[in-house]
Amino acid sequence: MITLENVLFKWHAKQPEPTINITKLDIDQGEHVFLHGPSGCGKSTLLSLLAGVTVPTQGNIQLLGKAINQLSNSKRDRFRADHIGYIFQNFNLLPYLSPIENVTLGCQFSKQRQKNALKNSATMAAEASRLLSALGLNDNLQHQAVAQLSIGQQQRVAAARAFIGSPEIIIADEPTSALDTQNRQAFVKLLFEQASAANSTLIFVSHDETLQTLFTRSISLVELQGGTDATH
Amino acid sequence: MLLIKLATKSLLNRKASALLTLFTIAISVMLLMSIERVRVDAKSSFSNTISGTDLIVGARTGDIQLLLSSVFRIGHANNGVSWKSYQYITGQRGVKWAIPMSLGDSHKGLAVLGTNKDYFEHYRFAKKQSLSFSQGHEFNHLFEVVLGAEVASSLGYQLGDEVVIAHGMGNTSFHNHDDNPFKVVGILKPTGTPVDKTLHIPLAVIEAIHGGHAHQHEAAQVDANDHDHDHDHDHDHDQHDDVDLVGTPKQITAFLLGFDSPLYTLQVRRNINQYKDEALLAIMPGVTLRELWEMLSIVEKILLLFSIVVVLISLLGMLTSLLSSLNQRRRELAILRSVGARPWHIFTLISVESLLITGLGCIVGIALFYALMLLGADYLQSHAGISLNIALLSSYELMLLAAIMVAGFIVGLIPATRAYFYSLADGMSIKI
Repeated sequence: MITLENVLFKWHAKQPEPTINITKLDIDQGEHVFLHGPSGCGKSTLLSLLAGVTVPTQGNIQLLGKAINQLSNSKRDRFRADHIGYIFQNFNLLPYLSPIENVTLGCQFSKQRQKNALKNSATMAAEASRLLSALGLNDNLQHQAVAQLSIGQQQRVAAARAFIGSPEIIIADEPTSALDTQNRQAFVKLLFEQASAANSTLIFVSHDETLQTLFTRSISLVELQGGTDATH
Repeated sequence: MLLIKLATKSLLNRKASALLTLFTIAISVMLLMSIERVRVDAKSSFSNTISGTDLIVGARTGDIQLLLSSVFRIGHANNGVSWKSYQYITGQRGVKWAIPMSLGDSHKGLAVLGTNKDYFEHYRFAKKQSLSFSQGHEFNHLFEVVLGAEVASSLGYQLGDEVVIAHGMGNTSFHNHDDNPFKVVGILKPTGTPVDKTLHIPLAVIEAIHGGHAHQHEAAQVDANDHDHDHDHDHDHDQHDDVDLVGTPKQITAFLLGFDSPLYTLQVRRNINQYKDEALLAIMPGVTLRELWEMLSIVEKILLLFSIVVVLISLLGMLTSLLSSLNQRRRELAILRSVGARPWHIFTLISVESLLITGLGCIVGIALFYALMLLGADYLQSHAGISLNIALLSSYELMLLAAIMVAGFIVGLIPATRAYFYSLADGMSIKI
């Protein structure tokens, strides 16, 4: 499902130590993976590689059986639009769109995800609303200005945007760092529910190891780096 | 479509700076359009002032000075043309008509022109249009006056009103000829030329109101004539044709000549310029108008240059505000990338924003431009004699707008390119 082989990544050619150096990493369809490591260990870079925004200097990255490092830039962009939902750490939403519009934005650039979304609901807005409700954002809040939502509510909108159109891969980059402990656990559980419902693979990045227990699998990026085989 | 919607909403989210930028562009567009419209209209008003006249003859002075004093009523002709010379020249072969002009008197700051009836028949302006009356008719008696359109409208005169003529120019002339008021018998239609600001009286009266004893004498005669007129009012008007409206003045300011054929023009002009008895000058109005305009063209070019610079500055203002907002928007761009927007989407998004600002700026600018034209037309007409044409945009003006749009688009490419590279480099992690 997700396979990395001998992946090496350097920002500049003259960089002495590669930012990413992974011999082997396999993640199965539907797995909920907790990826952790201290700041600066290359988490964000790895996510950029997984999202196909950057390509490895060496090695292969296969997503859904496709070697995305061999795709052209625009094909990678299309692949991401079709198959990957992404949740940022914070400031996740476009302030000038309503929560509903922010969510539907998730499938504006992909025909396939639009089709998937319309399997569940009659319109995209209805599907956005359904997801938001499932993530615990009631109807009143769904039409409010984004700036009036709390951080926790904003993260739910961001999650709904990642889930709309049921992409196969959900990447969450420290989505809970701005939330308090209570909300963190609740938020992660909501992510699990939705990921399971869509049979999506969830890659959850955090340096907060207290969340680790919730996941079926946990990967330390520090251990993964430098050639350690993390294949299970 | 999605990108246009996103660009619009994003701009609305940054209303204050976007509106400010838009307004700067609007004002610069208004300025450019106004300057261009006034320039073009001034040029046409200018060259429309007189037409159909082959030669203007006056005492020897500069070509342009003669044109200014005789046609534009600007400045004074120090010398005149003696009546003897006038009669000699107008008696030449080929002369079709002659309009004597005697200037120097005024009414409430407006020029008074002493002339003959040929003026109403042969004077032409713009594209050989002749003068026509909106009310009344030409003068048939000595103490009758025909008003230019603006004289009547600005001073509120109507047919039958009595008007007092002062000697000399200006409002505060000491010599008011209170004793011989003129009766308004005709009001001309607007021409957009200095004719509108002129009071026309028979040439003979000019001499009458100036010459001491002659004045008394003529005035008495005129009174008698007028008296007759009142009695004969219901009779055939033709009987008044024998009233000598021209008289035999000592000298006149200038005169206009029309020939049977334009072929006479150059020959007569040479003869006049070499006339032995008096130092005279004959000019061809079209040629001198062009010379005059060329003298002014440097001013016109500087104005155009300034307004172009103002437009450029406003576009640079847009560039500044787009570039400075870009840094704050890197996260926004990364979000768009994360949902699958390709770099060229980002590029287009920023370009659309600059196009929207420029486009709306142009539209608001045009609205302001028309508002300004409507407000300023009267003022320009009365103070500068430029008749503004409040019409739809000319193809030239549309071209200017298109040039501004293109310039705005090109300027917008700079932040768009920058956003494009940001979106490539930043990826999913925004380093600010």
